[in-house]
Amino acid sequence: MSQIKISDTDFERFRDYFYRKTGIYFGNSKRYFVDKRLIERIKATGHSNFRSYFTFMRFQASGKEFQELVNLMTVNETYFFREEYQLKCMVESVLPEIVQRKKEDLIRIWSIPCSTGEEPYSIAIYILEYWPLIDEVDVEIVASDIDTTVLEKSKQGIYNSRSVQYLPREILRKYFKQLSGGRYLIDQDLREAIDFRQINICDFEDTKKMRDFDLIFCRNLLIYFDDVSRRKAAEAFYDSLNPGGIIFLGHSESMSRITSLFKVRKFPQAIVYQKPLTTWR
Amino acid sequence: MALKKARDIQKSKPKEERRSLKRNFQGLINQLNDPDIQIRRWAARELAGFEQAVEPLCRRLQKEQVLSVQEAILNSLLTIGGEEVVKNLIPFLRSDDAGLRNKVIEVLQALPEAVAPYIEKLLRDPDSDVRIFAVDILQVLPHAQVPEWLLQVIMTDNHVNVVAAALDRLAEVGTPEMIPALLEVKKRFANEPYIAFAVDTVIERTKSEA
Repeated sequence: MSQIKISDTDFERFRDYFYRKTGIYFGNSKRYFVDKRLIERIKATGHSNFRSYFTFMRFQASGKEFQELVNLMTVNETYFFREEYQLKCMVESVLPEIVQRKKEDLIRIWSIPCSTGEEPYSIAIYILEYWPLIDEVDVEIVASDIDTTVLEKSKQGIYNSRSVQYLPREILRKYFKQLSGGRYLIDQDLREAIDFRQINICDFEDTKKMRDFDLIFCRNLLIYFDDVSRRKAAEAFYDSLNPGGIIFLGHSESMSRITSLFKVRKFPQAIVYQKPLTTWR
Repeated sequence: MALKKARDIQKSKPKEERRSLKRNFQGLINQLNDPDIQIRRWAARELAGFEQAVEPLCRRLQKEQVLSVQEAILNSLLTIGGEEVVKNLIPFLRSDDAGLRNKVIEVLQALPEAVAPYIEKLLRDPDSDVRIFAVDILQVLPHAQVPEWLLQVIMTDNHVNVVAAALDRLAEVGTPEMIPALLEVKKRFANEPYIAFAVDTVIERTKSEA
């Protein structure tokens, strides 16, 4: 097979399509990254050039190949305090607003998918450390994933040094116990405070139990879904949130591309999506 | 106060679930017309599990003004899928509600196999707006016939806006074999500078990949 090349036009064509489908835009600086992965998929699917591969991928009814590309183009890694600007937004802007609006002193937060637990524990630590109102308000955190193996790992709360590398030292000392082999065990009180549950976001029976939340973290999940599942998830989140409730998505995701059910809110630290306070229109 | 473990999951059951309403098909259909928005929305979501709900859902969609209920209805229709859904949604392409029309287009785009038998008829519709919406459906439709349908539009349609919309889509899926047809379009719409520009753009893109 001769060497496969991606021309400038090929790149632009792919970039436009990918942007329209996902909202992820690859600037020219990402050219090498994109080309490398495209060539990988062209070879893996037995095509000899971009054109035949693009036609195959673009018109495949199942959308499987497109999804393969999404998986390749979006590098995902979980660690403590990932996308910290969103956690800052939570304690500095979102939670104060919710507290002001709510009559009861209880805030409910849902982290989905929680994977091995880094996200819900980060939320908990951030609230305890950087939100003074935690002394006056109760917070419940529900963390869910479809995968029971990762849920078990979440409950165990043991992490490697890579997972905790971005935590400030004093936080690491305060909430973790160092184990052998460069591993860290998270504080028992935190492990017991978070409610881990198995939930399939696309299963109506599962999600209709998830109600009365004020805040949802759903970062870097919807990007991996097809259009139908994405819309189902958006519906589920809408029903799970209290009026005025907020969703945090991953930095490359946009709820506006999925549904018009939510309003875009721009806080100084981050853009979030809000369920309207009134259900009329 | 502090972090605390979440309440018993059963207590979080939706109030609509706790009501002693009939959860059978007819009960849900009745609830589709309930004055309470939440009950209508909930019924619409539950009806995703009933294939025979297509017509009643579409009837409700015609008069439903609340966005969250509209969305629930359309998502249930998408979940049910199939030709019956497409057949009942196509009339909404003539709706005056642009928001609803766009949502219907999105649903139709997500049902490529079911919508395919209707595309040619839509592309021949006497109303040029409907033909443009048909071209919009093709924009992200994952169906092998899309380039062929778009080619047919640029070769036969006499409405400048319909042809312009098709050219716009062809910039992504056009092939070098279409160049003669593209040049012909330029001739047919010689007095339309935008068409000339759009044709040149498509040709530039298709040529460089030849």
